[in-house]
Amino acid sequence: MTRQQRTGWLFTAPVLAIITLVFVLPTLMALALSVTDYSVYALADWANLDFIGVGNFTALLSTPLFWRALGNTALFALFGVPMAIGASLAAALLLNDATVRWKPLWRVALFAPYVTSVVATATVWQYLLNTRYGLINYALSLVGVAPVDWLGDPRASIPAILLFVTWKIFGYNMILFTAALSTVPQDLMEAARLDGASRWGRFRHVTLPAIGPTLLLAAIMSVAGFLQLFAEPYVMTQGGPAQSTVTVLYFMFDEGFKWWNLGQASAVALILFVVILALTFIQTRIGRRFEWL
Amino acid sequence: MIQPAFTPDAFSRRAVLAASLALAGSGCVPRADAGAVRLWAMSYEGDYSPMLMPVFTRQTGIDVDVQSLPWTAAHEKLLTAHAGGAMPDVMMLPAGWVGEFAIVGALAPVGDPSLVSGLVPATLDSGRYGGVHYAVPWSVAPQAQFYRRDLLAESGFAKPPADWSGWRDMGRALKRRRPDEWVFLMPLNWWDMLFTLAGQTGAAMLRDNSTRGNFTSPAFAEALGFYKSLYDDKLAPAMLSTELQDPFAAFAQGQFAIYPRSPAMLLDLHRRRAEIGPDRWGVVRMPGPRGPAAASGVSATLAVSSQSRRPQDAWALVRYMTSAPAELHFQRLIGSLPARASAWDDPQMQAPVLQPFRDQLEQPVATPDVVEWERIRIEVQLVAERLVRGQLTMAEAMRTMNLRADAILAKRRQLVSAGRLA
Repeated sequence: MTRQQRTGWLFTAPVLAIITLVFVLPTLMALALSVTDYSVYALADWANLDFIGVGNFTALLSTPLFWRALGNTALFALFGVPMAIGASLAAALLLNDATVRWKPLWRVALFAPYVTSVVATATVWQYLLNTRYGLINYALSLVGVAPVDWLGDPRASIPAILLFVTWKIFGYNMILFTAALSTVPQDLMEAARLDGASRWGRFRHVTLPAIGPTLLLAAIMSVAGFLQLFAEPYVMTQGGPAQSTVTVLYFMFDEGFKWWNLGQASAVALILFVVILALTFIQTRIGRRFEWL
Repeated sequence: MIQPAFTPDAFSRRAVLAASLALAGSGCVPRADAGAVRLWAMSYEGDYSPMLMPVFTRQTGIDVDVQSLPWTAAHEKLLTAHAGGAMPDVMMLPAGWVGEFAIVGALAPVGDPSLVSGLVPATLDSGRYGGVHYAVPWSVAPQAQFYRRDLLAESGFAKPPADWSGWRDMGRALKRRRPDEWVFLMPLNWWDMLFTLAGQTGAAMLRDNSTRGNFTSPAFAEALGFYKSLYDDKLAPAMLSTELQDPFAAFAQGQFAIYPRSPAMLLDLHRRRAEIGPDRWGVVRMPGPRGPAAASGVSATLAVSSQSRRPQDAWALVRYMTSAPAELHFQRLIGSLPARASAWDDPQMQAPVLQPFRDQLEQPVATPDVVEWERIRIEVQLVAERLVRGQLTMAEAMRTMNLRADAILAKRRQLVSAGRLA
């Protein structure tokens, strides 16, 4: 090992040690737990712990609520990711326009929800979404839409939470996009304009290639984030109505921490881990094709 | 620690670093009141317990640090604290959780028999598991119905009828008069109503030595059918408590005429008497199939953690809090009723408004004594919600309840058949 390599290892050693301690080790332990029937009885006496192989996984596959949670999470991700990224990109493009004034003010205002506590904002949104007195239903009534029971109707609860989540998180990606947009070459943009490229054409062929890598990053983070949605349904609906907002992570939390079925919960965590890994892999493959990586 | 802020030096990088280190350090140092006995309690009990403490501290010189937990997160907080070795010295536990925390070894058995003698009969078993006392009964809070005197009078009722069909007929009459409002405040995620009804029909909810669900019995079907009919008739809204940001305000504003609740309601009625005056409400026992019968309730107990490093101080605190004077003080504060029998002789307990609760104490609902019961109850309530919302038929719902209960009881079945659990 050369002196330089040694120095390199020395510098990375603390980080590697921490990663091993707080990431690799817990993951391996979760893997070990997932093949046992660890429950509150095992907490009482280790003799009650049994090795059950893939028992947790087969049990999960025959648990209707787990499938429901998977379906709900898929719905959240399917609609939430385009909504969140679309809102971020649109806001960033608007803010990037030369004619917009007081840019720092807008940036702060739109970023603020991201750094505000989930519980506080969720409580405010519960009031906004109230069927009887809520501002949202009042606004809808002005255009003649009958009141929607946002958090009480199993069909409206996912859209209601999606609205809230999108509002809450789009500021973060907006800042990323704002940074990326400032790197779009202005001379290229002007040349395109002189050549008569339309607004859409300029976006498609000048802006998009420049912000591609950022878009990929935002997509990967958003997909991972939406698949791990938990706090919002936990605070706003506690998984209801009729368990229509139970997500995979919510299911895992209930099993693991509420009822202490850590074996089952670890199995859920592992499945979620594999799903996120697979989706990220697919996204990077797509990104590579567009040369965004 | 750092220089005064008015000198420019205070903002130097070094000062900021020193300050942040000091802050980070202070997070690791034990809190200033490290000498205090720690107490965790839920909801109003947690909020108002500090008001009991000055007397205790004066008598014994022991400081008490009270932490209030919300009911919705209390179970996981306590279990996590036990697993992580961070249990408080003394904790409040509802009767149904004592067994669970006892089997995981979280509780120290009650050493002094005098703590668990002289109790109201309804609380005798609430701190006991497997014949051993693990917790000292502290208070009882049976359910009764608070009603809007003025709204009922409009429809010609002086008070709610005491039998199911009369009660439902009253609901219909009120609904006809005020079609845009509701009658019964019973959110679909509160289990107490359904389990009151089931207790009244005498439904045994588990069978085979409590290793299987028994939710297809005719008695349970009768209770579930009546429960469903209240929603079918639009007497109660199919909503969760998360949608009802302030149930008390909804009752005070007349959105609901009947609010089944524990005596803790008396605290709200006192604190918020500007919203609803004492002449506009009354309280009577819950209706039964043929007149008043059993009703659910929460018995609170106090337990000492097996990990406590100062068990003597902890037991002293339990002894004080479960003494008749402290329980009476707490009754005046938050409404919940004393578990100590001698406290009931006090003139304070003869108030007419306490009469329904006093009568109800004689008839508690019998609940199965298994550690999985808490979870089964929640699962059954979730299935009942889907039934009310029309996603399941009666037969399907009752079958699903059995399936879920059986799944939850799988480990218990295995341990019982292996002879490792009685």
